[in-house]
Amino acid sequence: MIHLQGVTVIYPDGTAALNQVDLSIERGEFAFITGPSGSGKSTLLQLIYRELVPTEGKVLVDGQDVAKLPPWRVPLLRRKVGVVFQDFRLLPEKTVWENVGFALDVVGASRREKHRKVPIALELVSLSDKADSYPDNLSGGEQQRVCIARALVNSPAALLADEPTGNLDPDISLELTELLASIAETGTTVVMASHDKVIVDKMQRRVIGLVSGVVVRNDKEGGSYDES
Amino acid sequence: MTRRGAATTNLDTVEFLLQQAWQSITRNGLMALAAICNMVVAFAVLGGFVLLAWNLDHMARVQTEAAVINVEITEDAIPADVEAALNRDLRVKKTEYVRRKQAFDALADRMGYDKKALELLENPLPDSFVVWPNNPDDIPALAQDIRQIEGVNTGENGVRYGGQVTEKLLVLARGVTISALALLVLLGAATLLIVGTTIRLTIYARRREIRIMQLVGASNWFIRVPFLIEGMLQGLTGAGVAAVLLLVGYSHICQYVGENLEFIDLVYTPEALGLFGIAIVLVGIVFGAAGAMLGLRRYLSVI
Repeated sequence: MIHLQGVTVIYPDGTAALNQVDLSIERGEFAFITGPSGSGKSTLLQLIYRELVPTEGKVLVDGQDVAKLPPWRVPLLRRKVGVVFQDFRLLPEKTVWENVGFALDVVGASRREKHRKVPIALELVSLSDKADSYPDNLSGGEQQRVCIARALVNSPAALLADEPTGNLDPDISLELTELLASIAETGTTVVMASHDKVIVDKMQRRVIGLVSGVVVRNDKEGGSYDES
Repeated sequence: MTRRGAATTNLDTVEFLLQQAWQSITRNGLMALAAICNMVVAFAVLGGFVLLAWNLDHMARVQTEAAVINVEITEDAIPADVEAALNRDLRVKKTEYVRRKQAFDALADRMGYDKKALELLENPLPDSFVVWPNNPDDIPALAQDIRQIEGVNTGENGVRYGGQVTEKLLVLARGVTISALALLVLLGAATLLIVGTTIRLTIYARRREIRIMQLVGASNWFIRVPFLIEGMLQGLTGAGVAAVLLLVGYSHICQYVGENLEFIDLVYTPEALGLFGIAIVLVGIVFGAAGAMLGLRRYLSVI
């Protein structure tokens, strides 16, 4: 599903964010990207949803070289790749339902389609009873689940989560990661950047470890943070 | 990836885009109001200049049509010979022979005198020709040459014309037209910049929402259309108010001039003025859209 071949990213100031990265993440897989701050975790995710293009190498998503996509096709890629951020990025003046529906509005979905898909996404993240609440009235964990519902409502093939538990307490973080792992079981590829050792160790899933932009670990199963 | 964003438009989408445009306007209400006020002033000044140029041109045309040379002939002249000599000149468009009786009646009509009373007087007017030139600019030279024709009264008032006024009016009309064009460029640039800045501020106020739209896969046109609608609505409102002010103001001026300054002939054709108003509104919409595009082009990509 996601393939990086010899990918190097050098920022305009000369900093090498990623250096000759090769990796493959298959459909339905759940993978952690671990590493200290500045190791290149976010850069790697940004390449996948074409926020960045590599200085060198290829990034293939579902067989397409995303760096070569013409600008008008980038939105189409992003409908296939949902993104969740640490800072939630919800619209405070919209309800939970409207925030999730917004992702359908902007891709030209009809009202009927919205009324069909939003409840399913909210059900998936167990927030059906909070549909009419505003983000400010929700806990951090709930807000992040709204973000996951918004990212999932367009039925993406992959879900990228950039430090989604960074603002959450440990119990909620684990709960949320388990939710993401359960989403992967439905066939959606989930890539989660994290430097939360407890969670990574507890989940015992694939771990791709980055240090200074270089892949130092690529454990297919049962990886832990210490090893990276 | 089988569908393009642009191909998925439906009524719900149109409703959503209009809602977004309305939110943009209300979120930056004061700035939108400032942009609209600027457009009202710009289009009112511009429209005023256009009306002025239009009227000066109209007056010049009326004067041009009336730009003739009156040629008196002597009593012993043979009118046919004089007429033939006049028509030989290529600068002459046409001539009309006016008998002294005819001229006397016309004068009496113009001045409102009682013709029967005048019949008691001797007609002091000679027979004459009215000469229309092909080009009003030729009048002075043509008049000079006409004086040389045999049978033409060579006295001080034998050959008369009033072309100087026409020439001045034409120069003035040309000057006003050029000024209107220069103003169009200046005010147009100001309007584009102000609309562009308003749109930029709106983009800034809505940057969070736009960022989310970009991340969840909204196409570029989908993000742009609400801002484009916003710019066009600003143009429509600003130019619309200016057009109403201009047309109402101009109607009052025409009415006042018609009642008090009868010698001034202003253009007043309801159909033409209606088209003028529509043209101002259309130009306003185009400027609004162009300003929005300017703001979008420069600032949307950096969010």
